[in-house]
Amino acid sequence: MATLGQTLRRWWGRPWIVPLALALATSGWLLAVEGRQGLARDEAQYFRAGERYWGWFEEIGAAVRAGKPGRAFSRAVVDSYWGDNHEHPPLMKTLYGLSWRLFHRCDCVGPKQGLHPIAIHGKHRTLPLFSRESTAFRFPAILLAGLGVALVYGFARRLVGPWAAAGAAVLSVAQPHYFFHAQISCFDAPIAVMALLVGWAYWKSLRSPRWGILCGVFYGLALATKHNAWLIPCFLLLHYLWMRRGDFLRLRPPRVPLAFVSMATLGPLVLFALWPWLWHAPVPRVREWMQRHAQHEHYNFEYLGRNWNLPPPPSQTGRWLLRATFPFVSTGFTVPVTTLALAAAGAVVLARRRRKDAPTDEPAGIIPELPEPGARASWLRPGADVDLAPGMFLAVQILGPIGTLALPSTPIFGGVKHFLAAMPFLAMLAGVGLGWVTRQATLLVRPSRLRHALPAALAGLLCLPAVAETQRSHPDGVGHYNLLAGGFAGGATLGMNRQFWGYSVLPLLPWMKAHRPPSNRVYWHDVLHDAVMMYVRDGRLPLGIGDTGVGESVVAQSDLGLVILEKHFAVYEYLHWEAFQTTQPAQVYAHEGVPFVVVYQRKAPPPRQEPLPP
Amino acid sequence: MRLSSLLDAESFRRHRLATACAAGIVALALVEAGNALLAPLRAPTDQDWRAAAAEVRAGFRPGDLLVAAPAWADPLLRLNLGDLIPLAVAGRLDAARFGRIWEISQRGARAPETEGVRVAQSSRHGALVLRRYERPAAGVSFDFVAEWSRAAVSRVASGGQVSGCLRLADRFECPDLPSQSVKAELLEIDTSPHLALATQPAGHTTTVIEYDHVPLGRELVVGAGLHNVWLRKAGKGTVSLRVLVQGRELGRIEAGSLTGWTLRRFDTSALTGQSQSVRFEITVDDPNSRTLGFAAEARS
Repeated sequence: MATLGQTLRRWWGRPWIVPLALALATSGWLLAVEGRQGLARDEAQYFRAGERYWGWFEEIGAAVRAGKPGRAFSRAVVDSYWGDNHEHPPLMKTLYGLSWRLFHRCDCVGPKQGLHPIAIHGKHRTLPLFSRESTAFRFPAILLAGLGVALVYGFARRLVGPWAAAGAAVLSVAQPHYFFHAQISCFDAPIAVMALLVGWAYWKSLRSPRWGILCGVFYGLALATKHNAWLIPCFLLLHYLWMRRGDFLRLRPPRVPLAFVSMATLGPLVLFALWPWLWHAPVPRVREWMQRHAQHEHYNFEYLGRNWNLPPPPSQTGRWLLRATFPFVSTGFTVPVTTLALAAAGAVVLARRRRKDAPTDEPAGIIPELPEPGARASWLRPGADVDLAPGMFLAVQILGPIGTLALPSTPIFGGVKHFLAAMPFLAMLAGVGLGWVTRQATLLVRPSRLRHALPAALAGLLCLPAVAETQRSHPDGVGHYNLLAGGFAGGATLGMNRQFWGYSVLPLLPWMKAHRPPSNRVYWHDVLHDAVMMYVRDGRLPLGIGDTGVGESVVAQSDLGLVILEKHFAVYEYLHWEAFQTTQPAQVYAHEGVPFVVVYQRKAPPPRQEPLPP
Repeated sequence: MRLSSLLDAESFRRHRLATACAAGIVALALVEAGNALLAPLRAPTDQDWRAAAAEVRAGFRPGDLLVAAPAWADPLLRLNLGDLIPLAVAGRLDAARFGRIWEISQRGARAPETEGVRVAQSSRHGALVLRRYERPAAGVSFDFVAEWSRAAVSRVASGGQVSGCLRLADRFECPDLPSQSVKAELLEIDTSPHLALATQPAGHTTTVIEYDHVPLGRELVVGAGLHNVWLRKAGKGTVSLRVLVQGRELGRIEAGSLTGWTLRRFDTSALTGQSQSVRFEITVDDPNSRTLGFAAEARS
């Protein structure tokens, strides 16, 4: 009869138990803290779109019940639901809407009935897991973030031992900026997970045709998540050409592998199947989607003390070069420094890797995926006879998304979110570094018991700063900067971007509620009306709270107004000064002494302005 | 237990560099984790701000300037002392006219307004340092924004035809200017506040703002730039501001989308004590989405 210890060891030995535990721990962590993070501007639009998309499924039900199922598929009906927010593909929004429908606690037929973007015909029967509707919307993104961590573990496990792989998994989510995006119902963390999923399938497809087919399916899911997916095959192609560089030396170009064929065929099919908005006019609408993002406008973004919203003229070489440094400097200032150091160590280890070593001879602790003896490459198993070049694989996956943002032809976006897809791979590289540190320590230590304890102890120790920084940053992860930059205050002093999307008002909502003016004229600045409505639905703002709308002209019409402190939003603060005749805010929300939001309150009579000294 | 029984000295000798690198990463992790836990405690508290504000209030005199260092702490400065920072002070041309400057500083920062100025008083309030700086203030003999109503505004077409603008209670109204007005208002220029004369220049014409009998001092200080981040992004034209005294050009300021707030000092020492006409001429190559703001002071 097996003892408890043996049973635990047997469970622990099962390949899925650790990734499952990591996924559950990650999703649990995110669920535990997401309520402190306000609603992001784009997120609020995806709430609305997700609910509308759900409305289409309700429409199908109604059409079937009416005996006219085809009615729900007419162009007019499809467009009336799926036309909302059609500049982004639908997968995540559909999941957000579905999750909301399944898991919210419904008080939809009361006074909040009119706040929904679709008609509410009666009380919803749900599994009411979440007290706030916004949490129900966010749930799929949070689950997907958990899946991402499990994938990092599984992928890293092919290169390093279990503790180093677990460390890589933790480091992938324990990054303040990634953590911020992992808990909200947007697309940036989901597309990072999808890129990982496609990369994982591609990697396995190098020696398994089954994964080649799956790669295409996963790529379709990635396409249906966010347009960043367009670039994924480019990065994989670079790796593939490098891995098969020997073919070029033999003047025999490599065959097109199954994974690429699959991505080129199954990918668009999956996208088409998942996106009803394309069904009635696929070609012009795909063209519209692509043009929207290929000709994207320049955002406003603060970098090194300057507001960037125009490409520098060619004559200003210094400024042009400065702009190109943005994604690299941002990475260097936002990822925890220990993670960066581990990744640097991992990069050196992979660069110095001896490809023909047997696993036991590998000096750096890397588990090599050696060519199969006697195997011949084919388009079905294109990596069967060669080393899989994990270093180059990680290099293109990390530098590809980051480098794309540095190109002068790329519109000014800003924000780590735009190259977030690099981060899980950066964490895998850090996992390689962690494996190397562990190996060095193990070589040094004599007592076998201590040697056995080292991998777990070092994994815990080397993940600690990333976890502590992430915890410290919450709920303002996008304003957090690392030890090199000097934290929140250091980032602000360096003139690095502090925030975007107007999410940071949440801590001020109780004050806003308590000081709601009798006129009910409230200016919410960058907090979109959709977000205000969701705060009301969540019970964080009272029903009927005013919203004077957006734009400069409405500031003067308000009696209470807030301003999100981004460099390019300064004009809105000065409009309040003029309108309310004061420079004194009534409230400021700050994190570690760094202001994020100011609130102005109209007082009567307006204070007399003192004259300037002579 | 002896160290040699724990560590393999031979292995250490063979992998000295690698061991040092690995140990460095472990040390870094300890430092970073410690910093993550301790750094939040170094931020100034509300209590610190209140204590510093109380001391400022006790010694404040009308005409004093209050600044925060680093500048990003300015909203917290204004939360605590904003009633002592009128719009005109917040939107100042520069700090030269202020003889006493209160600086509330943190993390060793220093405000640019206090560079080269003598510290008269200093105290610490938790994580904040309060300093009062004193220096001889620049005397302003004429403030062109405050005295906007003394100006004459006109528009000169390319053919030389002159059409005058009407002075109203709060602005000049020029029927053929895009915004139809020249007005003193608080503008956002280079993401900073500037109380300035705002005008939207028209194409193929010159907007002229002229002041007669201006008491001149040693220098004429002029600041100019384009208002509003969205307009700066949308437009491409360059606005030219020409400064003339008694018909003689002192210089120009060119304002484009990326030029920010440009401050120029023109030497008028030869005219000190004289009252002369000062004329500002504004032209633009492409008037789309351009609003120029400029401020000027004659200083002794």
